[in-house]
Amino acid sequence: MDGTGIQPAAAAEVGGSVEHLFRHESGRIISYLARLLGPEHMDLAEEVVQEALLKALQSWSYSGIPSNPAAWLLQVARNSALDAIRHRKVLVDKEPALIADITAASRPLPAHDNALEASLRDDELRMIFMCCHPALSPDASVALSLKAIGGFGVREIASAFLADEATIAQRLVRAKRQIREKALSLELPSGFDLKRRLDSVLDVLYLMFNEGYDAHQGEELIRQDLCFEALRLARLVAESSLGSPRVHALVALIALQTARLPARTDSVGNLVLLGQQDRSRWDQHLIAIGFHYFERAIAGTEVSPFHVEAAIAATHTRAPSLAETDWKPVLALYDQLMQLKPSPVVALNRSVAVARVHGPQAALAELDQLENEPALRNYYLLPAVRGQFLAELHRSEAAIVAYRRALELSCNAPERRFLQRRIDQLTQTDRNAPGALRR
Amino acid sequence: MANYFLFLYDNPANWVTLSPEEMQKALEKYIAWGEKATNGGYLRGTHRLAEDVGKVVRGTKVTDGPYSETKEILGGYYLIAADNYDHAVQRTLDHPHLEYGGTIEVRRVHAMHDQE
Repeated sequence: MDGTGIQPAAAAEVGGSVEHLFRHESGRIISYLARLLGPEHMDLAEEVVQEALLKALQSWSYSGIPSNPAAWLLQVARNSALDAIRHRKVLVDKEPALIADITAASRPLPAHDNALEASLRDDELRMIFMCCHPALSPDASVALSLKAIGGFGVREIASAFLADEATIAQRLVRAKRQIREKALSLELPSGFDLKRRLDSVLDVLYLMFNEGYDAHQGEELIRQDLCFEALRLARLVAESSLGSPRVHALVALIALQTARLPARTDSVGNLVLLGQQDRSRWDQHLIAIGFHYFERAIAGTEVSPFHVEAAIAATHTRAPSLAETDWKPVLALYDQLMQLKPSPVVALNRSVAVARVHGPQAALAELDQLENEPALRNYYLLPAVRGQFLAELHRSEAAIVAYRRALELSCNAPERRFLQRRIDQLTQTDRNAPGALRR
Repeated sequence: MANYFLFLYDNPANWVTLSPEEMQKALEKYIAWGEKATNGGYLRGTHRLAEDVGKVVRGTKVTDGPYSETKEILGGYYLIAADNYDHAVQRTLDHPHLEYGGTIEVRRVHAMHDQE
């Protein structure tokens, strides 16, 4: 663990099976083998891990899960790797040194080996920095990190991105080829290079989180898994020697936002906006993690966009209800964010804070300025937010037009139902308004 | 009550496309079935067979097992108690092995009091 005393959320156990054990061990062992075999042999590492998992599935399904499943998997994967090296002659030049290394590591393992744990964590950290290398495209980095470190399958990554499997598979092949061609290494960056490399890692993890949290497409469950994986990897970086206030701010931001996910949809899968969310369904454990890292993030003088976004999330989390949210500091934070990282999406979010502080009329004026932003042209939230402001101004007909416009743009099923419900409600109010004769 | 062997045949090709998470879910279902059978008091024993092909002995001739050429290999067995074949089959039907494309052979163990 990371020394904070904060453990991952209680795992659901079946017969001693730890939640996501296969997924996490897969990432750890691939990272370990990538160091031993060289990053150019990541495919072999993945293959060997898949074999180890299959053996585990086949034997544990009869005998139950052994007392130290992680060590069992590591051992089996090592032996398979050794077999592959010896029999397939895949690594002719490095073979003797590798065999010595793997054999030396193949002693029976104690149940808890702190040195081994630290070494595996270090391997994962190296793998994060390599998979998130600025030489790779951010999309490729997210996919590769999910596959190689997160233990996600191609189908799972594809469903999170709503892409087809072939596209994701190709993206992974290309990324691995680039690693070979550009001879990217697993060495951790230092000195001059550190900031650039760390920025790249944080950007990829932020993107991974957003794919999960914001994406208006894809399956809900796998998207949550993406948020949790981004959180896990960000914590790993935060707890390493390369951790810095900026990293802590990213962890805080991800944890505080992810804490709200359980309340974001109701029992029948309908979208629930912040104002209507049952705050008792927010994940208190993640909130504790979020505030823990937030404290550490603000210990220094550094102020990054992550700091500001974490502060906004923290303000929402502290408020007992949306009505009791203190919107003035939220607006000030959005102003600050617009200075640090101006973007149309940030401006759109800021308009909501403007509406709460200065009223919906002022917020509408802000939206008008965003109307021609290419980045928002197909973004359903722009007309949806406009519809919300118009409804607050009792301009029902214009609000309905805006919501209908939002429905024409790409959004997922819960979001569509939400928009349709708003249209129905407004139509209803209109009919019940004085002067309306029809029921 | 008689004892029935459930022989589980695997087709390794069924597993290659599963992600780690999906494999773990499969494992949990297998274990849950075993726990249910144990808690229900009808599981008499179970073993996973080693992955090698085994040996076949005919007369004095020993050859490698018959499995290398076939797609399905005997992966393990359960011994369960049941009233009759229907009952044994019923207790087999919810085994996750079937969901994952495997085959289960159900065989009654001959008992001393069995009449021909």
